[in-house]
Amino acid sequence: MDEETYQKYKKLARGSWGKEFSLLKMMFNGFLGLMREEEDMEFELPMETILNILLNIGKARKQGRKIIMYPFNYGPELFVTMGLQPLMQEIFSVGLAPFHMNEPYLDFSNEIGYGDNPTLCNASRPLVGAYMQGAAPVPDYLFFLSTPCNSLAMNYQVFESLSNVPTYNMDVPYWAIEEDSEFYDGKVVEYMTNQCKDFVTWLEDQTKEKFEIEKFQQTMLRLNQARENIRDFNETLKNVPCPAGSQTGFWNWFFMSTIGGTQEAVDVTKFVRDSAIENVKEGVGGIEDEKLRIAWPYTHVFFDRDLFPWLEETYGAIAILDILGNYQVEPHNTSTLEKCYDSLARGTLDYSMIGSCRGPAEYYIEYVINYVKDYKVDCVIYPMQYACKHAFAMARITSEAVREATGIPSLIFGCDPYDSREVPHEAIQAKIAEFIEQVVL
Amino acid sequence: MSVLKEFEEATPLKNPWIDSWKEEGKKILGYFCSYIPDEIIHAAGILPVRMRATGCTDTPMGDAYLTPTACSYTRCCLEMANRRQYNFLDGAISCNSCDQIRRLDDNIRIKAPFPYQYFIGVPGNINDLTIDWFKHELNKFKTSLEENYSVEITDDKLRSSIKTYNESRALLKELYMLRKNPKPPISGTDIMKVLLTDVSIPREQFNELLRKLLKELDGKEGESNHKSRLMIVGSQLDDPEYVKIIEDLGGLIVVDSFCLGTRTFWDQVDETKDPLDALAEHYMTRVSCPRMSGKQSERVDFVAELVKEFDVDGVIFQRMKFCALWWAEIFIIRKKLKELGVPFLDLEREYVLSGAGAMKTRVQGFMEILEAK
Ligand code: SF4
Ligand code: SF4
Repeated sequence: MDEETYQKYKKLARGSWGKEFSLLKMMFNGFLGLMREEEDMEFELPMETILNILLNIGKARKQGRKIIMYPFNYGPELFVTMGLQPLMQEIFSVGLAPFHMNEPYLDFSNEIGYGDNPTLCNASRPLVGAYMQGAAPVPDYLFFLSTPCNSLAMNYQVFESLSNVPTYNMDVPYWAIEEDSEFYDGKVVEYMTNQCKDFVTWLEDQTKEKFEIEKFQQTMLRLNQARENIRDFNETLKNVPCPAGSQTGFWNWFFMSTIGGTQEAVDVTKFVRDSAIENVKEGVGGIEDEKLRIAWPYTHVFFDRDLFPWLEETYGAIAILDILGNYQVEPHNTSTLEKCYDSLARGTLDYSMIGSCRGPAEYYIEYVINYVKDYKVDCVIYPMQYACKHAFAMARITSEAVREATGIPSLIFGCDPYDSREVPHEAIQAKIAEFIEQVVL
Repeated sequence: MSVLKEFEEATPLKNPWIDSWKEEGKKILGYFCSYIPDEIIHAAGILPVRMRATGCTDTPMGDAYLTPTACSYTRCCLEMANRRQYNFLDGAISCNSCDQIRRLDDNIRIKAPFPYQYFIGVPGNINDLTIDWFKHELNKFKTSLEENYSVEITDDKLRSSIKTYNESRALLKELYMLRKNPKPPISGTDIMKVLLTDVSIPREQFNELLRKLLKELDGKEGESNHKSRLMIVGSQLDDPEYVKIIEDLGGLIVVDSFCLGTRTFWDQVDETKDPLDALAEHYMTRVSCPRMSGKQSERVDFVAELVKEFDVDGVIFQRMKFCALWWAEIFIIRKKLKELGVPFLDLEREYVLSGAGAMKTRVQGFMEILEAK
C-alpha cells in the first residue's frame, strides 16, 4: 500500500471507536499494518474496501445507523435495502485470528463454563466471552439461520438470551432445488421465499421503516452483477496456471457477506475478476511457478498467515478456492419483485458452505468432485475444524468418493482455524509436507 | 411377578416383544429422534423402536468416519450399523436432530445402508411457515412408507394411532404425578425401564403394561430413605444403570427433562384436527429441545416449573461429551437455576457408561452439598 493511502486510513481510524468496537479497531490497525507491507499495487482496491468495511461498522453508532449482526453464510442485501449496518459476526473470529486475539476470549469462555473447542465452534464461541467482558458490540438486531451447524445456532441462541436483542431465525431446508437431484423437493424455493418475505415484515416492524421495493430491486440488480463477476472470476481459475493467488477467492466471499448488494461490492468483485482475466491473457499465474493445484474444500486456517505463502514458495502449490471463496450463487433474473424474492431465496440456499452442507453428504461430495475435475486439481486438503461436526463427518466419505471418481488423494486433519494453540502452525505444516512429499509428488 | 419385571425385560435392544412381532412377519423401523412422529409409523402397521446402541463396545468405524469429536452415541450407532447389529430392523428413519445424527444418517447410507432409510427435515424454529413445512415433510414421509410397504395410511388409521399414543402420554403423566409424593412409589431407575419400554415394544402392549403398573402402584407407600430429590436434564439417556448409580448414593430422581422423558409426553396431540396438521403442530410446539431456536426461555421455564412442582432439591445435567446443543443449553439453564438458588451438577458423560468411579465421586460431592443446604 502506498504511504499516502496508509496515512489516509491511519487518520480516518484515529480517536475512540467506543469500548464495544475496541477489538474492531485493533483488528483494523492490524490489517492496516499488514497492508502497509503489501507492495502489490494491484490489490489496492480490495485492501481499501476491506478497510472501509471495518471503518463503516466502527462508525455506525456515531452515524446513527442501527446494527444487525448475522452469520458468515448469509448476504446482507436485505439489510442494505433497509439502511441497516450489516455486521457479519465472524468478522471478529476470522479477523482476530491472524493477530491471535481470539485466545483471551476463548479462555474466558472456558473459564465461565461455556463449551470447549471440540464441542462448540470457535468461529462464534469467542463472541460470548467477548460479550461478557463488554468487548463485543451488542447489535440492535440479530439474525441467524438453522444451518450449516448447531454450533452456530446455539451460539446465537446463547447470545440472544444473554443480550435480549430482538432476533429473527430462518429455517434452511435440507432438500435440493435441482430437478434432476434424487433429493429434489419442488416446494423448497417457495418455502424460502415465504420466509424471506416474513423476515422483511419483521424488519419493518422492528425498524419502523418501510421496505422500499424499488430500492430492493436495485440492490438485487447490483447483487447479481457481483454474482456475475464472481462466476466469471471462478471460471478464470480453471486456467493453468491459475491466474490468482491462494487467498484471492476468499475475498469474494468476504465482500458478498459484508457488502453484497452495494455498488462497492460490484466494483471490487469486478476489479478482482478483471485482474484475473488480464493475467489469463498474459499467461501470468497467481504464483510464480505453479506446480501443484490443491482443492481446499474447507475454510482457511485463519490464524496461520504463513501457510499459503509457505505452500506457494516451497512447493509451487496453489490452493484454488476455499469453501467460502467458492461462492457458487448463480446470477438470477431480477426483473420483477417476485423474481427478486426468488433470487434472494435461491441465493440463501446456495450460499457458500450452505449450498454444499445444508443437506445430505451427497451435496458436498458432488461439490468436491466437481471442484477437483473443473479446476484440474492434484490433491485435496481438508483442514477440518474439530468442532465442525457436520463437515468433519463428511470428509472421510468424501475423500473416498473423490478417490474413486478421480483418483486424486486427500489429506484430512483436525485443527482449530481460530486458535493457534490447538494445532500449531508447525504441526500443520508438517502434516501437509508429509502428504505432499510422500503421497502427491 | 411385579409388572416392573416385565418392563425390565423390554430394556435390551432386542426384546421378546420384538421377537414375536418379527415371528408374525411384521416390519420394524428404528427411528433416531423424538421429533419423528412414530404415530405415522404405527399407523402403517409397523413397529417403531427408538434407535439405541446398547451393547456397543468400541467405535473404530465411528471414530474414523464421524471422527472422534462426534458424540459417542452417534459413533456407537454407526459402529453397530456397520457390524450389522441392527439386522432385526427393516429400516431406519432419521432427521436433522443435530449435525451428528444428520451425518450419521449419511455415513450409514453410504457405508452400511439399511434396506429402507428415510430422512425427515425438521425445521429449526417454530412459526406458521415452519409448521406448515413440517406438515409437508410428514406428508412425504407418509407417502414414502405407503409406497415402500404397500400400505395405505388413511386419516382414520392416523387418528386411531394418535389416540393410542395420547393414551400413553396421559398414562405416563399420571405415573409421573405419583413422583410428586414425598415418598414416591417408584424409583427413577424403574422409571428409566418404563421409558425404554415406551420406545421398544408395540404401543398397545405398552399401554396395557402401564395400566397394570399404575394399578400396582396405587396406594403403595414409597421410598423414604433418600437424601434428596433430583431432576435429570439433558439429551438421550437410555441406560438405567446411570440413574441407579445416582440413586444408590441416596439421590432419588423424581422428574426429568430429556429425550425419552417429559418432553415427549407432557402435551397431548389435538385429536379434533386433521391428523397430519395435528401431528405437525404437536411435534413443533410441544416442549422443545435445544435444536429449536427461539424457544430457549420456554425450555428454561419448563425446567424451573418442574423443579418447583416436584419439589426438586438439585438438578443433574447429563451432558453427552461433544454435544453442542446441550452444552450451550445447559449454560443458559444454569444461569436460571443460579438465580433460583437451585444447586446443579454438570456431569459430562459418554454413551457407554464408563468411569463410574469418577461419576460416583462427583455425585457424592453433590449430595453432600445438597445435604449441607
Ligand atoms: S466452522 Fe463449521 S462448526 Fe464452525 S461455524 Fe462454521 S460451519 Fe459451524
Ligand atoms: S447427544 Fe447431542 S450430539 Fe449426540 S445425538 Fe444427542 S443431540 Fe446429537
